Amino acid sequence: MRKPLWIVAVLSFFIMLTVVPAHKAEAAEIKKLIYDDANLLSEEEYDKLNELANKYGAKRETDIIIITSTNSENKDVVDMTEDFYDNQAPGYDKPHGNAAILTLDMRNRDVYLAGFYKAETYLDDERLDKIRNKITPYLTDGNYAAAFEKYIKTSYKYMDFKPGVNPDNILFNIWFQLGAAVAIGGIAVGAMAYNSGGRVTVDRRTYEDAQTSGIQDRQDQYIRTTVTKSKIEKSSGGGGGGGGGGGVTGGGHSHSGSRGSF
Amino acid sequence: MQVIDYKCPNCGSGMTFDSKTGKLSCQSCGRQDDIEQIPDPLKQYAFSENEVNEFQCNSCGAVTITEAETAATTCSFCGSAVVLIDRLAGKLAPAMVIPFAINKEQAMQAFRKWCKNGRLTPKGFVTADRIKGITGMYVPFWLYELHNQVEVEGHATKVRVYVQGDYRYTETKHFNIYRKLRLNYVKVPIDASEKMNDKLMDKLEPFPYGQLKSFKTPYLAGYIAEKYSYDDKDLLPRAKDKIREYIESAISASVKGYSTVNLVDKQIHNTFANAEYCLLPVWVVHYDYNNLEYTFAMNGQTGKVVGKPPISKAKVLQWFAGIAGASLLTLKLVSWMMGGGLL
Repeated sequence: MRKPLWIVAVLSFFIMLTVVPAHKAEAAEIKKLIYDDANLLSEEEYDKLNELANKYGAKRETDIIIITSTNSENKDVVDMTEDFYDNQAPGYDKPHGNAAILTLDMRNRDVYLAGFYKAETYLDDERLDKIRNKITPYLTDGNYAAAFEKYIKTSYKYMDFKPGVNPDNILFNIWFQLGAAVAIGGIAVGAMAYNSGGRVTVDRRTYEDAQTSGIQDRQDQYIRTTVTKSKIEKSSGGGGGGGGGGGVTGGGHSHSGSRGSF
Repeated sequence: MQVIDYKCPNCGSGMTFDSKTGKLSCQSCGRQDDIEQIPDPLKQYAFSENEVNEFQCNSCGAVTITEAETAATTCSFCGSAVVLIDRLAGKLAPAMVIPFAINKEQAMQAFRKWCKNGRLTPKGFVTADRIKGITGMYVPFWLYELHNQVEVEGHATKVRVYVQGDYRYTETKHFNIYRKLRLNYVKVPIDASEKMNDKLMDKLEPFPYGQLKSFKTPYLAGYIAEKYSYDDKDLLPRAKDKIREYIESAISASVKGYSTVNLVDKQIHNTFANAEYCLLPVWVVHYDYNNLEYTFAMNGQTGKVVGKPPISKAKVLQWFAGIAGASLLTLKLVSWMMGGGLL
């Protein structure tokens, strides 16, 4: 009878853990992580997103970088990303270190996401595809600030999951977990209350005279077979089509990637 | 009204039925009589159908008023076991009886234990010793034998889904099905006492029919017994209602193996075969808690206890928090082991 109490304590601890953010971001110096050459952001939006990228990136030891460009040289968006990495040498831990890069080519309306080093394993092609599918609708609408915020937060969230697992698995969703726990508790206690007065423990066999009862006649007549077919939907790269994975930069840095249009 | 009492042939004290040995026993000298062997004194009396509600105790001579349903009781003055002949003879004569296997002390103990096991009952209810009264009562039941002829017809499908190339195929095989069943139910018990709660009595089942004995009055010595308030015709609808769900589940068990079953025609013919009048042993416990009286019933053979105990909100909350917390912890652990973050 005493047991439930300590469980209550553990439960409340977990709820606290969920509500209160794990750490306050250290007041470290703010890095420049957003290169808004296409001027898509207002100053206010820029400051807010740059701070957000610093804060969330630090927790995953990864620079979360955004590049926007009008692309006057008409370079391919993948080359743009790779050249940026080779030349600017970004990285949280060291130059040419852990980095996730979102590149927007405003000229061809192409978008490319890449992950380097730690981000290459934790944000593999599949996860980058997921992130791109999430932000493409915002990009298409021209709501760049919202798209960038989603990119920063989703990258942060996905890097918390071990490589190879599906980060969108419903089992990982805290609301699903809470809901399921409450449902299990409710059903269990409900059943206890319902059965507290004793249960009916007889069934159809209790009073059946087995010797004289049973199936006397049965017919199962086959009539026909119908077949319907439906095409299996393959998950297509959102926006104006997409695909394309990672690669290796000219400077020899391997990376994951996801490419699409908006 | 005429009464039977059970005087010990050795010492003259009153004898009662002993649930341990199953014999008529004398508490004074320890004499034990095998009930199956001794002639039932009921046979010696001529009975009259009258509405008299009082009897005179053979032992002490006191005149006692009884309730209209009482068929056996103890004299409230001297405590002798008394059986009222008029209420157990003629059309009121029971065909069979299941005697008690649990005596009063065992019943009290079993009831207390049951209270303690109640996970949602308030603490005070468990510890407090407030059994107001415990009565061993033979409750009148009708045991029905009902025969059923069932014919059902319908449509059933078997569905198979498979993938070939880029397409998902759903293959449905259609069948016409027909089933003819004979379902005979025997000794379906329906309580015939007006006083007893029907739901409570239903939960007391099953009674061990292996213990059924042909009726003899000494089994009632020392206990309360009642005569039926409703006859077998009155209760036939309830009996049919009760087996209806058994029939339905037997039908669905007979069409297993299909993905979907849609029965378009269902014909059920019941035939009433017979109904036997029978007395079944029930301990009735009255319990006081927070100025409310709770009634519980215990199967006099199996010891199964039924009846709604009070429910403590605090305990409900504790259990809920405990189970929900443990589930959350487990889910967290599972998601952590699958590679998810802790938050």
